[in-house]
Amino acid sequence: MTDKTANLANLDKEGLSLKSVSLWQITWRRLFKRKSALLGLGILIVLVFIALTAQWISPYDPYQVLIGIEDVDMRQAPCIHLLGCPKDQPQHIMGIDGNVRDQFSRLLYGTRLSLMVGLTTVSFAIIIGTILGALSGYFGGWVDNTIMRVMDVLLAFPSLLLAIAIVTVLGPGLINALLAIGIVSIPAYARVVRSSVLSVREMDYVSATRALGGNNFDILFKRIMPNALTPLIVQGTLGIATAILDAAALSFLGLGAQPPTPEWGQMLSAERNQVFTAPHLVFYPGFAIMTTVLAFNLLGDGLRDALDPRLAHTSK
Amino acid sequence: MKRQILVILSLVIISSMALSACAGGGAAGREYKEEKFEGLSLDAGGCDYGGFFKSIEATDEKTVVFTLCKSDPAFLSKVAFSPFAVYPKEWIKWSAGEESRTSAGLEKPIGTGPYMVSEWKRGESITFTKNPDYWGEAPLAADTLVFRWSTESAARLLELQAGTVDGFDNVGPDDFATIEGDSDLQLAIRPALNVFYIGMTNTYAPFDDVKVRQAIAMGIDRQRIVDTFYPEGSEVASHFTPCAIPNGCVGEDWYEFDPEAARSLLAEAGYPEGFETSLYYRDVVRGYLPQVSNVAQDIQAQLKDNLNIDAEIVVMESGAFIEASASGQLNGFHLLGWGADYPHITNFLDYHFGKDTQQFGAIDASIYQPIIDGGQIADNDEAAPIYEKANNAIRELVPMLPIAHGGSAVAYRAEVENPQASPLTSEVFAFSKPGDRDVFVWMQNAEPISMFCADETDGESLRACEQVMQGLYSYEVNGTAVEPALATNCEPNDDLTVWTCTLRDSVKFHDGTGLDADDVVMSFTMGLDASSEYHKGNTNLWEYYDYLWGMMNKPAE
Repeated sequence: MTDKTANLANLDKEGLSLKSVSLWQITWRRLFKRKSALLGLGILIVLVFIALTAQWISPYDPYQVLIGIEDVDMRQAPCIHLLGCPKDQPQHIMGIDGNVRDQFSRLLYGTRLSLMVGLTTVSFAIIIGTILGALSGYFGGWVDNTIMRVMDVLLAFPSLLLAIAIVTVLGPGLINALLAIGIVSIPAYARVVRSSVLSVREMDYVSATRALGGNNFDILFKRIMPNALTPLIVQGTLGIATAILDAAALSFLGLGAQPPTPEWGQMLSAERNQVFTAPHLVFYPGFAIMTTVLAFNLLGDGLRDALDPRLAHTSK
Repeated sequence: MKRQILVILSLVIISSMALSACAGGGAAGREYKEEKFEGLSLDAGGCDYGGFFKSIEATDEKTVVFTLCKSDPAFLSKVAFSPFAVYPKEWIKWSAGEESRTSAGLEKPIGTGPYMVSEWKRGESITFTKNPDYWGEAPLAADTLVFRWSTESAARLLELQAGTVDGFDNVGPDDFATIEGDSDLQLAIRPALNVFYIGMTNTYAPFDDVKVRQAIAMGIDRQRIVDTFYPEGSEVASHFTPCAIPNGCVGEDWYEFDPEAARSLLAEAGYPEGFETSLYYRDVVRGYLPQVSNVAQDIQAQLKDNLNIDAEIVVMESGAFIEASASGQLNGFHLLGWGADYPHITNFLDYHFGKDTQQFGAIDASIYQPIIDGGQIADNDEAAPIYEKANNAIRELVPMLPIAHGGSAVAYRAEVENPQASPLTSEVFAFSKPGDRDVFVWMQNAEPISMFCADETDGESLRACEQVMQGLYSYEVNGTAVEPALATNCEPNDDLTVWTCTLRDSVKFHDGTGLDADDVVMSFTMGLDASSEYHKGNTNLWEYYDYLWGMMNKPAE
């Protein structure tokens, strides 16, 4: 008996790592088979590229007011030389915004902000949510009850409404908006982690580790967590999309990024009354938000299918 | 079967008769007779109540004496304002309901104007017919005047192009060129009687240093803001008060835009690298600030570029913003403006730069003293040198930067004679003619709330009332100067505290009763005396009576 457990314990590390490698390989393979997921991934790579190189690829400074510098009018329609715009006019692919700035450059810089918003809020929510969910699922009892009831309370509010309430208390601003969206999305992650921890902790190898005298911390974070992560990855990818949407909504309401920050929601909100007179100022930011959210959603859906253990078994 | 139909038919007929009897009750069922002159008076019982009038007396049939608690050179400008129009005393008594005016009282006021209300189809239009007994001259007036409304400026323009309306208010900024390019249409630019300014509170560093404020005054390219964000008819503010107001722009013009000088002045004050502050505003569109967020961002960009001042934009809720700015609690710049209540310089300067104003911190005596002195003089020419001092002191000490007077425009069909664009938005259509047609159709932004304008503040309501109602004085067509209307003359005493008004002879109200001094006293009693049984309105706030004169016998709170 002792021999067996010792063997198991020895095997454990190798076996686990072997298994995880194969899981990721399978995941990648399955992901590449799904065209929609690939499309999402493709868009995302482009967006990341834009975000990283915004300062080199954007033709203008996003804050630069062009009055007196170029002969352009406020809210001027796009001028693209390739499409027949006279060469003597300065080229503005997406036109000029209400403050006589280059809309295209602002949109490119907005990519950086939106991705940052998505990643930071979701990372924040995942870190806090994971810790809470793991503690809750692992210890059970009153810890579980307390944490999950608090999460239930948070879930009882419509998320955007709660975010608005938090921002109202903290004061408008991008950082506060990030914090608000982060807090609002914690319960989703806490629940996901708790449920997978609940199922994983009953597995034999966990009992074995416990029998070997591993302490709670090791068991939870070294044995259970790595195997409870898959649903979190899916949830996180889809969560980025929601976070970007929420941040855009908050900025649209004037609670998120403050002018002149080139944030898509804020750009949309600033020109919303000009839908008919200057449609390009509303169309492009809206389209950018849509594309980004779509990319994350496609990728998230793809990941979910790829990581689904049931589908994984059938493919073997 | 036949019998049932007959019963239903007769019921329908009876109920429709009953309905029409009720609806017609306003005009047909008016049950009052002309009352004799009794010499009414309204006495506040001293001046301790804090208001403006000590007493208003009808001393004889054609004479009203206003005794004031403090002298006021703007008395006539205020009296000419449409909420202070004169109603017949019989009608006032008749239409005062239990809680508010009766529906006829709210929809069909009785006045002395060139038009009278014939029908108000709620949600659709108001029809006015010409007053056959009008006392004055209105040779151009069409037989019928119709008011319509639409919130979208594009929709209003479409109607004008189609010829279904003769004129409309508030041309959209993008439509100016369209109208000017259309030979069937004409544009009347409304002079701007407002001001948009950047306020600074001098109790907070670094705004406590006059050099900093002067540097900012030179460091903002105001022409660029007006050119880019304001509609045609707007102008860069040379002074706080618009030039259309007498004595508004006496004294030196505002600083020239000079970023070099501004930077060196800022360095001299100890901020060669600029500083960090906030830029507060409310996201509310007004005539003086048609594009709020864009203007704020441009000012922010200019502060950064010209003076290296980093101003963080803080958008506040409107009520909170007004409260914080008025009590001088904003530690950065604040963007605000002012539209004229009545066209007199006291309405601009006294409110903003009076001794007790906190909005800009402490007001220096060199500014508030001339304002106090000027408030004692009725004659504009005599007051000019005093207001020149006040304006120059404001320029010197820069409590704020006046940026722009925002214009707007009215569009008409080309055949309309004497197209009007009143700076006070009080166009009187009896003085315009719609070509050779006999119906003048006017389209504005919104439906009037009620036509009992003694208790309304909304400009769309006031304009409708102005077709029907008149006060002792009125504003000249397309201007701000006052001219006698129901009074032939109002004479002040030497210290401007007693005004004796003589009424015009043989003026008849729409209901056939004659105008006498009782009607004037009764109208003011209705508005001013909160304890009067006739003090019944629509909202019952009586804002302009309270704000411009002060309410008497207010119920204890």
